[in-house]
Amino acid sequence: MLKMTHLSKVYRTEVVETYALRDFNIDVKEGEFVAVTGPSGSGKTTFLTIAGLLETFTGGEYHLDGIEVSNLNDNARSKIRNEKIGFIFQAFNLIPDLNVFDNVEVPLRYRGMKAPERKQRIMDALERVGLASRYKHYPAELSGGQQQRVAIARALAGSPRLLLADEPTGNLDTQMARGVLELLEEIHRDGATIVMVTHDPELAARAQRNVHIIDGQVVDLSVDPRFHAAHHAASEAHG
Amino acid sequence: MNLPIRPILVALRRHKAGTVLIALQIALTLAIVCNALFIIHARLANLSEASGVDEPNVFVIKNQWAAERPTAQVDAQVQADLLALRQLPAVRDAAPASGYPLQGGGWDNLVTLTPDQTHPITDSAVYTSDEHFIDTLGARLVAGRNFRPDEVMVMGTQQSITPPTVIVTRALADKLFPGGHALGKSFYAMGTTPSTIVGIVDPLHRQGVSQWNKAYAGQALIWPLRADDARGIFYIVRAKPGQLAAAMREAPKALYAQSRMRIIDPKDGVQDYAAIRHKVYDSDRGMAILMGIICAVLLAITAAGIVGLTSFWVGQRRKQIGVRRALGARQRDILAYFLTENFLISAAGVLLGVVLAVAFNLWTVTRFELDRMSLAYVGVGVLVLLLLGQGATFAPALRASRVSPVEATRSV
Ligand SMILES: Nc1ncnc2c1ncn2[C@@H]1O[C@H](COP(=O)(O)OP(=O)(O)OP(=O)(O)O)[C@@H](O)[C@H]1O
Ligand SMILES: [Mg+2]
Repeated sequence: MLKMTHLSKVYRTEVVETYALRDFNIDVKEGEFVAVTGPSGSGKTTFLTIAGLLETFTGGEYHLDGIEVSNLNDNARSKIRNEKIGFIFQAFNLIPDLNVFDNVEVPLRYRGMKAPERKQRIMDALERVGLASRYKHYPAELSGGQQQRVAIARALAGSPRLLLADEPTGNLDTQMARGVLELLEEIHRDGATIVMVTHDPELAARAQRNVHIIDGQVVDLSVDPRFHAAHHAASEAHG
Repeated sequence: MNLPIRPILVALRRHKAGTVLIALQIALTLAIVCNALFIIHARLANLSEASGVDEPNVFVIKNQWAAERPTAQVDAQVQADLLALRQLPAVRDAAPASGYPLQGGGWDNLVTLTPDQTHPITDSAVYTSDEHFIDTLGARLVAGRNFRPDEVMVMGTQQSITPPTVIVTRALADKLFPGGHALGKSFYAMGTTPSTIVGIVDPLHRQGVSQWNKAYAGQALIWPLRADDARGIFYIVRAKPGQLAAAMREAPKALYAQSRMRIIDPKDGVQDYAAIRHKVYDSDRGMAILMGIICAVLLAITAAGIVGLTSFWVGQRRKQIGVRRALGARQRDILAYFLTENFLISAAGVLLGVVLAVAFNLWTVTRFELDRMSLAYVGVGVLVLLLLGQGATFAPALRASRVSPVEATRSV
């Protein structure tokens, strides 16, 4: 589903070059639920933005669903984002000017879907996250957990095969976090591939596989001595 | 492209202040620009009004007398002057006159069909001259005949003479005698004796071009009179084709050779019709330019307002643009979003503007007796403002479309 080989990402400013990712290798199979952990600044978000075609990379190769994506133009990348990928962000990123219904509708409109089908999918997705009755509410009128569930509904409505989540529970209390995770697990059971960045070892433990990133590289925890320090720091950061 | 009109309107509801302000600005600009365009067009149309004069070859000498003399002496001098002018090799004809078309203002009389009629039928500009007037101006006699030399009368400074014959413009003839049988009919022009129409010219402009004159456009009469006026007399001179400059040079010399008891202002004592026309339409041209400047300034301000507001909104919505891109919006979807948004605001503004424009015009119609504005001006105004809106939105919208999708992951 998602395969990166020797991938690198360099951020260049006038004064410094930062290797956010270097010789980065990962292979996520169709239908996997992968949790990505690692210390702050290690490159987790960078990995996710490249995986989600939000950003280009500097070197190496990235095959998404069998397609080498580095040659795709912006329109093609937009189309893949729209049809194959669902995003869930730490900050929910709902559009404040639109109500729940209209927020969930956004990606469907970009797909050029007809109104009746859009409506069907929106209500189905909202049903699934338990917010169908709130479809007229504005984001500001919802709790954080509810907003994140709307964001999940928005990601779900387009039936993406790949769901990318960057600390989806980072802004939520334990109770709400648990609800969101259960939702993700349910979506996973229905066949979606999920890659989730998290600081929370407890959540990470519930994924099928854990990938750890340190200094822009995937490390094997069982052999890498840096793991213990990093893991410790991450747990501490999260209390 | 799937234009998300309903969500755009919904989102705009949450940005009421900016939306309403810009829509109002567009409405007011439209109202003013339509009316200004209408005025500009009317004023510019004035500039090319036909005078009935062979303008490329005709010039006017303003001849002032240096001393007062009895009428008989003045008239003898006038006749001698005219003879001298007509003998110049570059001159085709010359005529005395109390005034001339496009002079700016001058003699006019109220006109009645009976001597005791209390309500005048209309107003007519009055020209007095001799049998050379029509040929000198290059005017077209379309019916009847010219004056005979023996019909030309002489009027002293204190006298008021109404000649029994008159030549009128077609406009005046039609106004007095609708149906086209004016020849041979008589009318009164503020006197107790009638004048009989012996000829009809068409067209011949009045002296004035003001709004007031417009109501009586083209209505003028010519009396066969050499009037002695203490202030002086106009000599209208028609040069032979292509010899205007030579004629204008020679004419004052010829007059001074006749007698030095006169003043011809070296600056504007001799004016060709280009100068006359330029001067008389000064205010029309000035008004057109002023209105043009007002339009340009208003449009610029409105455009700046739209650019400003759109830029502000683009800045404010960077994050949501990133999110939209992350969710699959192409660059052109983002561009279309902002252009559509502007179009919706502009459409509302323009709708209100049309109402305001027409209302304002109707008010000027009743208040200042201006003309009704053709809806074509409103159409042009609407088009201009819609295009302006799209144009002004384009640059900020393009910037918006270049917001990277990665913007969605950046924390605020
Ligand atoms: N736009 C950017 N320009 C320059 N450097 C960047 C940019 N984005 C990220 N970086 C750098 O790349 C490295 C990886 O950042 P990234 O955001 O991927 O870390 P992260 O693992 O997601 O951290 P966190 O757990 O704090 O979210 C960091 O050193 C960061 O400073
Ligand atoms: Mg991060």
